[in-house]
Order: sequence, then structure tokens, then C-alpha cells
Amino acid sequence: MERDGNLKPWGSLFCKTAETVVQRFYKRQLLNDIKSYMQIKQLLLVILLILFHNQQLVAQQNATQKFSGTVSSDDGLPIPGATVKIGEYIRVTDNKGEFSFDQIIPKSYTISIVYIGFKPIRKSITIGEKQKNRIEFVMDATTHELKNVDVVGRTKVTEVNRQAFNVTALDATKMHNSTLDIAGALDRVAGVRVRETGGLGSNFNLSLNGFSGNHIRFFLDGVPMDNFGSSFQINNIPINIAERIEVYKGVVPMWLGADALGGAVNIVTGDRFRNYIDVSYSIGSFNTHRSVINAAATSKSGFTVQLNAFQNFSDNNYKVTVDASDINTGQYSPGTRVKRFHDQYHNETVIANVGVVDKSFADKLLFGVTLGQNYKEIQTGARMVSVFGQWHRRGNMIMPTLKYQKKDLIKGLDLNFNANYNFGKEQNIDTAYRRYDWFGNYKQYEGKGSERTRTMYKYGNNAGLATTMLNYKLNDNHSFALSNVFSTFDRKGSDEINPSNNAYEQKQKTNKNILGLGYMFNTADHWSLNLFSKYIIQNSIVGQQNLNQTTTQSQFGYGLATSYNFNRNLQLKASYEKANRMPEATEIFGDVENFEGNSNLKPEVSDNVNVGLMYSFSLQDVNRFSISANAIYRNASNFIYYQFNQNQSKLVAGNRDGVTNFGGDIEARYSFKDWLTAGVNVTYQNIINQQEYEGNPPVLSPVYKDRMPNIPFLYGNGDVAFSFKNVGKKGNNLSFGYNLLYVHAFYLYWPSRGTSGDKYGIPKQLSHDVNLLYSLKNGRYNISAECKNLNDALLYDNFSLQKPSRAFYLKLRYFINKTA
Amino acid sequence: MKSTLKNACYAMALIAGISSCSKDKSNDLISENKGNYILTVTPVASTGVADYLLTADNLESGTLSTAGNGLEQDGTFRYYVTTNNKFFSMLYGQGNPGAVTTYNIQNGKLSKLSNFQTETVQAFAPVNNDLLLVKIPRTYGNKANWYQVDTDKLLITSEGQLDVANLTGNGETAHFSWLKQVNNKVFAPYFSIKACCADGFGTNYPDSAWVAVYDYPSMKLEKIIKDNRTSFIGRYFVDGLGVLENGDTYAFSSSVATTGGVFSSKKPSAITRINAGTTEFDQNYYFNFQDASGGMNITNWIYIGGGNFVVNATTAAEKGAYNTGVHIGIVNVNNKTFKAVTGMPDLDKIGSVTDHNFTPKDGRTAYMGVTLKDGSSFVYKIDAVTATATQGLKVEGGTITSISKL
Repeated sequence: MERDGNLKPWGSLFCKTAETVVQRFYKRQLLNDIKSYMQIKQLLLVILLILFHNQQLVAQQNATQKFSGTVSSDDGLPIPGATVKIGEYIRVTDNKGEFSFDQIIPKSYTISIVYIGFKPIRKSITIGEKQKNRIEFVMDATTHELKNVDVVGRTKVTEVNRQAFNVTALDATKMHNSTLDIAGALDRVAGVRVRETGGLGSNFNLSLNGFSGNHIRFFLDGVPMDNFGSSFQINNIPINIAERIEVYKGVVPMWLGADALGGAVNIVTGDRFRNYIDVSYSIGSFNTHRSVINAAATSKSGFTVQLNAFQNFSDNNYKVTVDASDINTGQYSPGTRVKRFHDQYHNETVIANVGVVDKSFADKLLFGVTLGQNYKEIQTGARMVSVFGQWHRRGNMIMPTLKYQKKDLIKGLDLNFNANYNFGKEQNIDTAYRRYDWFGNYKQYEGKGSERTRTMYKYGNNAGLATTMLNYKLNDNHSFALSNVFSTFDRKGSDEINPSNNAYEQKQKTNKNILGLGYMFNTADHWSLNLFSKYIIQNSIVGQQNLNQTTTQSQFGYGLATSYNFNRNLQLKASYEKANRMPEATEIFGDVENFEGNSNLKPEVSDNVNVGLMYSFSLQDVNRFSISANAIYRNASNFIYYQFNQNQSKLVAGNRDGVTNFGGDIEARYSFKDWLTAGVNVTYQNIINQQEYEGNPPVLSPVYKDRMPNIPFLYGNGDVAFSFKNVGKKGNNLSFGYNLLYVHAFYLYWPSRGTSGDKYGIPKQLSHDVNLLYSLKNGRYNISAECKNLNDALLYDNFSLQKPSRAFYLKLRYFINKTA
Repeated sequence: MKSTLKNACYAMALIAGISSCSKDKSNDLISENKGNYILTVTPVASTGVADYLLTADNLESGTLSTAGNGLEQDGTFRYYVTTNNKFFSMLYGQGNPGAVTTYNIQNGKLSKLSNFQTETVQAFAPVNNDLLLVKIPRTYGNKANWYQVDTDKLLITSEGQLDVANLTGNGETAHFSWLKQVNNKVFAPYFSIKACCADGFGTNYPDSAWVAVYDYPSMKLEKIIKDNRTSFIGRYFVDGLGVLENGDTYAFSSSVATTGGVFSSKKPSAITRINAGTTEFDQNYYFNFQDASGGMNITNWIYIGGGNFVVNATTAAEKGAYNTGVHIGIVNVNNKTFKAVTGMPDLDKIGSVTDHNFTPKDGRTAYMGVTLKDGSSFVYKIDAVTATATQGLKVEGGTITSISKL
């Protein structure tokens, strides 16, 4: 699943694989990628996809035959990931270029084999008792370009999209020349809104069909990112680290073994190349500098070294329009245009892995470490009238990792194990007893004080994680998966300016285990079924005064996902999950600064139903269309939400009766030949408060059944891209792209209350981004220029917090990969 | 092509089916009442809550609603004060600076005068022609900041710092419960807090009451007066002082000091006095409220004139450091009497009562907000002479958080 061309449903539009600049460039090197491992997650995906899309009929005759073979290139290297089709049967070659049809009815067939960058093989064969049942095929590399272009422009990811789950996969490789981070890329997905409080590195809140915060889980190659800390988050991970980003809206597959409740985002880094260097640097407005180095080297003996390093830096000193107050009298000067002056952000992260691949004892065994640090200045509070000039945060990450993969422990049984432990620390530093205004002037007060809450508290969460995944494929119709995710959290901290705090330091420890069991079944090419269950148990120890209170909570969840193919172009899918989410450590213990703990939180439970539809068609073969539509229904109870504590000094989590969401999204895409693509998506969600009684003691709530405030409910994206081949010189390509973001206005507070003309709200947002890319030598050198917020609109995701004004970026990227 | 069209039809039908299931909620709009009474109303919800300002011309009858009606304020946890014929709407901004919006009333409608910026403060009171604001630290060693807002200019005209670390003399920090102008001084009762760590609002000194006395406008500390007959005066964000017509100041103690999260004061809830013109507790005056009320403690009070206070009280079982009592009574501090008020809704129907209420100071009347568990709210007229409560104005769509008049 990690490679192009895998598991395409035969004959569908999506199968007419696009060949992008990058992919074309990669084609030779892919040969060297034969033995590269598959992440277990991806492996399971393969199995799911085989189950869901495999066109093989159940053998109806006893006299079936086995037929196998290999596919290799004209220079003798095996081709993994090539699609082999015999009649209605489809297989994809493995790492050694091998394929096998276990039960095939003997008769005459047309066999066809396709792989990007090679001339397709198409010939007649007869499978019968007297024929030989093993053939070696050799494919010739093409020199011409494939003419078919995928309408979606998301070739590699199409199959992820076709899972029975409500999932959208983004092909990150298409954005490697942009200056996006993961958050920016996600913002273009239907159903997703990333709400940021400012510029580079600012706090973000990703909402997926109305759920946000800890209801959404993030994964890196299937490993939960919960314990990664602030140095490695979606708002600082550059897009170049990722190969693909999968967004599960609602029902989350079992193999993402976590207690996500509102959805999940899985960042797939992949390792397409055994030997490569990918270096990029971008410079832009507001003194923004970002660079990324990705590299890998693998010896013939299987020793491998992989390195990903990235850095972000920005002053974020963009201009904002504010009501600037006089520092002494408090008088406002409305509509003052000022530059932000205390908003610098930078982070530096290195991920290094050393190990072996393709050994008898392991397909992959990697020891690694992720080192990172970040620094962030805090310019404003929850409103832009609150200005700060010294308050800042720091964090670091020291995380050893272990990855182990072995296929066919016994035939059909694959094992994947991951473990990591984060020794990183986080610190919030607010020691300046000052009050700043928007012009950078300040008043210095005497004594020990702060701009907000005096602290230098430094803490580590000592968070560890171990994931184990076992997958057993009984035969083409049945497979089983068992997963286990164990995580531990043990916060310790101290405050150097308030050492007596240590004496009050309480035990703050949780252990969580999630055991998942899944079964996958498909009868024929028409429908498939995926059943799964998860058992979550969490043990938390909360120190209270002098005794430790231990709480153990357990929940059982289950679900199913199914898809039905009316024909090659029309797929209907549906899924349901009874999902559970345990209270997070931060919610139980607080964070000592801004968040108060609540050890009485109950697990959150929700019913999730998704229904989806994908349809594609073409007119005269040059005009290609695809439409996908998803509907979603959620009903969450014991919903965990945040409110102010009794004396309104900190936030505290609580359970509420819940919210429901009934909504959906529609995406339509169009392409013309191989030089124009365009798309539009729209998301609507009707998120309704189901809390009938509120308060203590409870009273009937006037906003029961009202729409939840301060959540965007109608938004969309549009994009157009033009690409021109061989501009200036053969192998040099030029493309131009345009992106539009629209977010409908929404109220800050409950919609039904108050005189409508006097209500606070977040105005409509409309922003335009344009980009230009020129790539030389088939993608070895790339130069791109971008303009974000072209019309210099005042953009807000959160009330009063303005996002960056118009900005320009230039990015240079060099990519090369070599045969070992 | 035919099958293409067929598929398209399937697709459209499904999409139509999916998208056709929404319903709109319509609200009955109640036209805005004009009047000089201002009620601040908070729709009860856990998130996204704003306060709404509603005006009314009388508190004894009629109906108001926040549905499609009311002047939305930026957030809840707002505090309101009227002085100099102006209404001040102040945000409690979690330690951040915020905007204060001022209104007056013209033709029975609120009219915005201006915005100005202040800090989030924990105590405020009208003093002379000013509004005095004090920002109180919760961390040991910090200083409190005060600000004087000129209520004509609507600007901060002066500011300074108060040492709260050394007021108690016991190593703990002082946290003012409230401020009160008494004659030409500012009385600032405080409670002692550890200001640290896991027991920040706890104390090891739960059995004393203190009042810091400041000169105005210099805000120089003149004196600290202490009394060991009660626990601290007032509560967090609650005015524990009442000044009578003769200048005598009465103080209530709720007896809600905690140590390690547990109530630790051995002193009962009681009322003490500081005589007019003096800055000492009158050791000859002590009214044990707890005994007089059958074991209850005062949570809030409002002085209505003639020595009468309308008090909110909680039973021993209901006692909490922050909750407002739903038992209403009349205390006469001259006679040291307590009378329970009749005519309030049944206790099991009351959700909450308002703690910033209105009195014309006629010695007899107070108007108090009550929210029932069914979500409806009413203004109750409390008559101190008959010790009865009568249901008045109905407010739909929220809890009444304050009642005032311009």
C-alpha cells in the first residue's frame, strides 16, 4: 500500500494511474525499494483493501489451480507493487516481485500487468492442468509518459479513500514543494477545520466534523502521537516528512489502536527509497525560515540509516488591526494597525533511525531517537486586548524508539512492534512583572509578579508507549488482527522560583491499555465487511493530600465497516462504532498552570454512524469527474469539555450529557487531460447541544437543542491547478495553483440568545492562496513561490485573534535518490 | 453513458437523502422591555456562555426573555456595578486585561458610552466619584495592584501597589474578600491564604478576621484590625460589610476557611461591628448567626436600611466556600434577630439565587433573583417587615446574575 499502483480496483477510473512529475522521477528507484518494509498499519490496510476490493470470486468449482509468477524489470530487478490481473482476479506483487493466485478456475484468460513507468504487459494465457503454473514476466521501462491522469490528483491515496471507513487520504508528495505544514494540508480536507490562534507555531485546534481537541487522535505511522510533546506536533511538522496523510472522520479502524472518539489523523511517512536525499529550504515574510532534510542510506547487506531533520523559525511579526489601549489610562484607540512584537517561534527536530532490513529474523529492526526542542513567545491572551511582551514557553523531546517488523512468522502471520519513551520536558515562563501595550511600551511593577500567572514550572510527562500488532491472513476471504497499545504517563515537575511547590507535588500517574480484535471478510467483489472491538482499561493514581487515590476504569467498544460496489465507478460505504475515550492525563491531573485536574471524570462514549458514497465518470476520456459524499451522525454522552473552575482562574474538564452532530461533506473534482485539475468541497455540520440540565444544582438549560456556538458549521475549499510539461527544456515542468478557503460566519456565543444585531461573532473568512512551481531535471531541482492570503483579508479562526496578513514564501528543494 | 446517468441518479438521490434531514428551531421573540431596571442574565450552559443585559420598568410583574433579546456581553463571569448614574460591565478575564463597557440609560434603553481597558480584578467598589479596582495575587510574594477609574472621564487616573505579603503577619498572603468605602476610608477585609501549590486558597489560620484600612485616594495602609471571635469576613468575591445610616459598619463571617480542602474554622458564622468613627472591632457586639438561625451560615447579604439585612444562608450540610445559600432570612443587626422568609419557592425547586440584588434602601424591600430547576427565573420581592417573599417579574432563558437600577 505504500507504493504507487498497488491494489487499484481494476478498470476503475482510479486505476488509470496518474503519473506526476515526482512519481515519474521515482520510477526507476522504486525498483530498489523492493524489500522495504511495510508499516503494520499499512500492511493491515493492504489486507483490508484486498478484502474490500479484491475481485476474486469464491471458487465455485473444485478444480481450481494455483498460478504464480514473478515480475521483474528489463534490468533484472524485481518490481514490487505491480498489479497483475487475470480475468476478474487481481494480485499485487510483493517485495520480491512475486504474485500468486491460489484458486483459479482453469481456462483461457488475458493476463495484464501494469506498473508506473513500464510498458503494460497484456497477453493471453491458458491456465489448465497441463499448463505450467508459474511464469516469469519482464517489463520494459517506458520512455514515453503515461497519458492517463487521475481526476483526483491523489493516485496513491485513492485506495485508502476507498476503504469502508469514512476516510480521506491526502497525497503529501504532491505538496512537497509547498511551504505547508501538516496542519495547513489538513485544512484543505473536507470536514476538517484547523483553527489557529496566530502565525507559525501558534496553538491550533483541529476539528473533524465538529469534534476537536482530545477527541481527535494523531498518529505517526500508526503509532499514537499523544506523548510527543510540543516539539513534534502537526503545526510544526513540515509536509515533506509525510508521504500521505489519512483522515478518519468518525469511525476509527481498529488497527489505529487508540481511544479516539471523534476521528483520527494518521501521518504516513513511508520509506519509499532506500537511498535518497531530499533537502528543502524556504524563506518568507515575517522572517520565516524553514528547512527540511530527509535522507536514507541502505547497504546491500541491509544495514540502514535514516534521518529526518527539520527546522522552523518565524518572528510572526505580521501586522494586525487592534483596539490599542493606552497603557496608563486604559483608553482605546480603535482600529490601530500595529506589528506583533513578541511572537517568535522556532523549533528544531531530528529523527534518526539505525537498523537492519530484510534479515531472516526481521524484515525491519530499527533503533531510533527523536530529539526536538521548541521556543514560543506568547503575544496575546484569549483576546487581542491582552498583550504580553515576555511570557514564553519552551519544550523539548528526547524520545528513543524501537521498531520491529516480521512477516510470515508462521505462514500468514505478521508481527509488528513499536515502542517509545519520551523524556522531554515542558516549561512555561512568566516572571516579568510588567504590563505591555500594543506598541511594545511597558510598565514595570515592583516585586515578584508576572504578566499573567507567575511560574517557571517545568515538568516531564515521562510518557511511554508500546504497540503490538498481529495480523493473520487465513485465506483470501478471512483475516484476523489483534492489536495492543499500552501507554504510561507519570508526571513529575518542579518550579525553581517556587521550590516549596515541590513539597506539594502529588502523584500523577496513569497506565492505559487498549486491546483490539478485528475480523475482516469479503465475499466477492461487491461487498466487504470489517468487524472490530476494543477493550480499554485505564488505571490512574491521583495524589490527594497525603494519600493516593487509585481509579480503574474500563470500557468495551465495537464497530463495523462495510462497503458495497454497485459497479466499478460507484461505491457505497457505511460504518458504525461504539467509541470510547478515557479521560486524558491532563484532564485528570491538570497541568499545574492553566488547567485544573478532575479525577472524577468518566469515560466518554459515543455512537458514530458514517455513510459514504464515491462516484466517478468520464466524458470522452479527457474530462474526468469524481464525486464523493459523506454523511455523519454522532451522539456523544459524558462528553468531556472544558470550563472555568470555581474561582475562574483555570480551566477544568467535566462531563456533559453530550452533543449530537448530523452533517456531511461533499467533494467534487474535475480534470481535463493531464494539465488541468480543479476541485471543490463543502462541509456542513449541525452540532446540537443535548445537555438538558446544567449547573449545580441542575436547572433546565435554555440552550438545550441549540446549535453549539463558536464552532464553524459551514465551510469549504476550492482549488485549481494547471501544469505544463517541458517548459523551457525537456524535463522541466511548470505548474500554477490556486486555493480558496471559505468559512461561513458563526456566532461566538449561543445563537438563540440576545438581540441579533448586537451579537459577537467570527465573520466570514475568504482567503486566496496562489502558488507557482518550476521543477527542473524531472524534479531534481524545484523552485516554488507562494502567496498566502493574497487579498490581505483580516482572517480570524478564533474570536478577535487575527491570523497572518498577506505573506510571500519562496522554497527551494533538491531531491535525488540513488541505486544502492 | 446510460449507466453513467443511472449512477449519477443514484448518487444524487443519496446526497439529497442525506442532506434533507435538518430542522430549524424558531424562537418566540419577546420585544425588549424598556425601563430603568437592569437585569443581567446568563443562559445556563457549560460553554460559549455570554451574559445578556435586559431592561425592565418594574420588577414585580411581567415577563422578559433572552431568546432573540438582550444586549450580548463579551462572555460570562462578568461583574456589574452602578455608580455615578452609569452601569459598568466588567469582564473577569482569567488574569488577562479586558475591556470594561459602560452604559447609561436613555429613554429606558441601555446606551453604550465607551470602552476602556482594565486588568482583571478580584474586588471593586465605588469610592467618591471613582471606581476603585484591586487586582489580588494568588502567588506568595506578589503585590496587589489598585486602579482608580474616574467615572466621569471613564479612564484610569491613578494606580499603585499594595503589599499583601506582609499584612497577615503569619507568613501567609492576604486576599481581599471585598472593598468598601466607610466614611473617607477604604475598608478591605481579607482572608489569609497559603498562596502556594496544591492548597493555594487554604490557610493555617482559619480562626481570625482582618480588615485593612486604607486612606483614600492615597491608598496608604493606615491600620490592620483583627478579631479572633470569627473567621474571616466576607468570602471570595463577596462583600461582607454593611454600613448603616449611623455610620456603624457590620461584618459577617461565613466561617468557610479551609485547610487542605476541609473546613477548618472552629468559629461559628457570626456578625461583628466596627463603630462609626472608629477602626476597631466593637468587642461588646457579637451576634452568633449560627445559633440564631439553627445552625446555618451566611453566604451573602444585602443591606436594605433600618438595620435590616436580607441574608442568604446555607445549612451545615450545604456549606461550601463558593455557593450562595438558598435559605433567605431577615437579620436585624440592632436587635440581633433572625427571621426566616416565607413565600419563597420550595427548596427542592430552587436551582440558584442571585447574589447581586437590588434594594431601594427603604428599610423594608429587596428584589432577589431566583432560578428554578425547571429553568425559569423570577424576581422575588422580599418584605423584611412581614418576612415574606412574593413572586414578581419572570425571566426566561437564563439565570439572573444581578439586578440593578439606574
